[in-house]
Amino acid sequence: MSPRRSTSWALALLPLAFLAVGFFAPLWEVLRQGFQDQGRWTGDFLRTVLADPYVRHLLSFTLQQALLSTALSLLLGFPLGWLLTRYSFPGRDALRALTLVPFVLPPITVALGFVLFFGHAGYMNRALMSALGLAEPPLRLLYSLWAIVLAHAFYNAPVVARFVNVSWETQDPTLTEAARVLGAGKLRAFLTVTAPALFPAVLSALALVFVLCTLSFAIPLALGGAQYATVEVGVYLLARVYVDLQRTAALAAILLGVSLLLTYLYLRGGGLFHTLSVGERRQPTVPLVARRRPWRLLWLGYLLPAALVFVGPIGAVIADSFLRAAPGGSSPTLHWYALALSPDTSPFLGASPLGSVLTSLTVGAAATGGALILGIAVSAALRTIRSRALETLLMAPLGVSSVVLGLALLLAFRRPPLSLLPPGPWPLVLAHMLIVYPFVVRSIRPLWEALDPSLVEAARTLGAARYTAFRSVELPLLRSGLLVAGALAFALSLGEMTAAAMLSRPGLNTIPLAIYQFLSARRFGAASAMATVLMIATAVAILIWERLGRAAVWEQR
Amino acid sequence: MRLASLLCIALVLSAASVRTAAEQLTVYTYDSFVAWGPAQAIKETFEETHPGVELVWIAPGDSSEMLSRLIGELQLGLPTADVFLGVADVELHRALAHEVFLPLHAERISNLQYVPQRLRLEGDTYVVPYDHGYVTFVYDAELLPEELVPRTLEDLLRPELKDKIILQDPRTSSPGLSFLLWTIAHFGDAWDQFWRELLPNVLTVTKGWTESFEMFEAGEAPLVISYSTDEAYSHIVHGDLRYRVLTPGGEGYRQVEYMGVVRTTENTELAHSLLDIVLSHEIQELIPTSQWMFPANEEAQLPEEFAEHAVIPAESLSLDLELVAENLEKWINEWQAVLVGR
Repeated sequence: MSPRRSTSWALALLPLAFLAVGFFAPLWEVLRQGFQDQGRWTGDFLRTVLADPYVRHLLSFTLQQALLSTALSLLLGFPLGWLLTRYSFPGRDALRALTLVPFVLPPITVALGFVLFFGHAGYMNRALMSALGLAEPPLRLLYSLWAIVLAHAFYNAPVVARFVNVSWETQDPTLTEAARVLGAGKLRAFLTVTAPALFPAVLSALALVFVLCTLSFAIPLALGGAQYATVEVGVYLLARVYVDLQRTAALAAILLGVSLLLTYLYLRGGGLFHTLSVGERRQPTVPLVARRRPWRLLWLGYLLPAALVFVGPIGAVIADSFLRAAPGGSSPTLHWYALALSPDTSPFLGASPLGSVLTSLTVGAAATGGALILGIAVSAALRTIRSRALETLLMAPLGVSSVVLGLALLLAFRRPPLSLLPPGPWPLVLAHMLIVYPFVVRSIRPLWEALDPSLVEAARTLGAARYTAFRSVELPLLRSGLLVAGALAFALSLGEMTAAAMLSRPGLNTIPLAIYQFLSARRFGAASAMATVLMIATAVAILIWERLGRAAVWEQR
Repeated sequence: MRLASLLCIALVLSAASVRTAAEQLTVYTYDSFVAWGPAQAIKETFEETHPGVELVWIAPGDSSEMLSRLIGELQLGLPTADVFLGVADVELHRALAHEVFLPLHAERISNLQYVPQRLRLEGDTYVVPYDHGYVTFVYDAELLPEELVPRTLEDLLRPELKDKIILQDPRTSSPGLSFLLWTIAHFGDAWDQFWRELLPNVLTVTKGWTESFEMFEAGEAPLVISYSTDEAYSHIVHGDLRYRVLTPGGEGYRQVEYMGVVRTTENTELAHSLLDIVLSHEIQELIPTSQWMFPANEEAQLPEEFAEHAVIPAESLSLDLELVAENLEKWINEWQAVLVGR
């Protein structure tokens, strides 16, 4: 091995060693708990768990809701992608930018929005009851499978729209035009030319949505009640609420297998689904509102209900935080903000609310810093060593469900080496680091790969050490990518609730957990106020993201 | 590097944010004991008696959920409570099997002398009762027409009551568990059949009592599992009898609630003092009209209106605690299967 090569292996060892201690060893502990009985390996726990009718229900329900959610996301998202591609109208760019919002919108705020907007005593039902003079709420969505499915569609339809839009827009219009010239009608041209070319993107989007819905946590937890729980929620309930470690570990092992398999399939499949023809020309658009084409207004039949589904819940959260009448009856009011942040609510959160806000911000900052460093180290290693196996190892956290990661760290922080850390929210920082650093890698790697190697070589020739060359040449050039990644990492950490729910303890709580606790105790005003605070914090991070990096991450997709 | 210094500041801040105050006594209980019950008065009395010590209530869930959390934290060796307040009699076996509590020094709890022997457990040295009551149904007289008010448990199955009942999860909530045991005491082995037929009438099964009662008060459904004192609550707080207690066939399920000192505490002295304060006349007299239960201290005076309107079911059911201890896990598993329609 040449000295150069051994240095690069040493470089790869750093992130590998970190992951070995902070990720692989904890995961191993979960498997050991799930498959070992007094030091002997056994499949007994797994068999018991799989024979349990409740667990089988969890598995089949998870699958059922994920399929339905994916179908509804397609139904709601495809027309949006179509609209964004084919028509020009005022606010088109804004609408396209808005399809990015769900990617960073914390799921618990969506769950809260659904309760407030579609609940039996929610805005929709109250409006319908007073408009139609009804005595009973006509919309009975909540406490059913459909609440979960609709909330998932809210979340994922924009993902479908985005995939459809990007793929359609880059399609060469010449092909469709050729079909039309050769005599095909509009419908035939669509079915035989456009649709087959869109198919890979749609399939890819559906696969992603299916993975996201299978591993969804906050929405089924908050909207499902006892009857409708997914595996992800099941692991959390078994671990933290019903406390049955052996069964938890066995169920977690199943979930781990499912999540790794799905991620693998998605990533492998993703490679097959590259867009076919990238044309020189962009797809032409036609105006949505044209006097001679009044039927285009039929789009309102989609846009109005869609606006209700997409804007209603979030609007309801913000409106509720100011408009819900305070105990004295005054409205609008800041009472709920005062209440949500007052120490009087500490017992219900298990930590002071201001402490929860502080924890979220500090954990976010620390996890972002850690993820940037880890992300750079991983990118550097992958840049110098082209190895499929190494890439799989270094990116493995991407494929692990957050609830399993949380469980792994919960177990790992009981004993050395991790238990030797000084007291602090370390488990949470580590969990968030592991969840977000793959996004860091994904946003800086392409930039780094595209860097001209002669820049570094020039620096080296002029006498700079390798590290100096990295610091003074490569790092500044990667700056925009790092800023984008940092803002995204911070926003994701702020909204993350799954690992946080597994790792919370007295005195350690985060904003999304506080929202969940307020919501599940039906303290809606306080939940809305807290959720608005979270959305503002996320929006600030995203604005900085937009400013600094112009959404480079997404344009690469 | 700027990034590195920012990171350091963040880490120091985050370490500081979870540091604990000088001296604290942490007490786990269920949410409604803080939201409704005498928690604030207990805190004030305790902090007056022990200057410099802060009493911290932690109550993010219902009683069974909090007990599970305590058991889990003890198993994992995580920091946890000094005192646990709110184990229902039917769950004591679970707490004792996991060795959650320290044996009590009864001589340090002088107010224990006012607690009648019938509320205490034979041979027990780990817990003391602080209140008791009956789990029953409560209905909203404005929303539920008189002819639909169930007179027996079987009446709850009438198709007109579809989506009109709110229950609690017996895995996380003690009134929820009491109702499950009530149906077992009433129907014997046929209890699961009753539940299968009941589920279509159940709007939702909430994690805890607080959410159920909030939904009930918000008018989402007119029937809820709650306590036999709620008519007194309706009368005293709302000045009317809109919320009526319903004892189908005269039945209600007996519940006694206990508290104990957690085995890992380093504050046994303070913990015993807290138990003594909870049993004092002053705090016990707050129990009827805040916690809406009957006090454990026999000398505590009941407010007249409370005594008048709190219902005592004609048939107070309770299963033998040994029988519950032996079968609970099996029943819960069977209940889970019924819940998901298997």
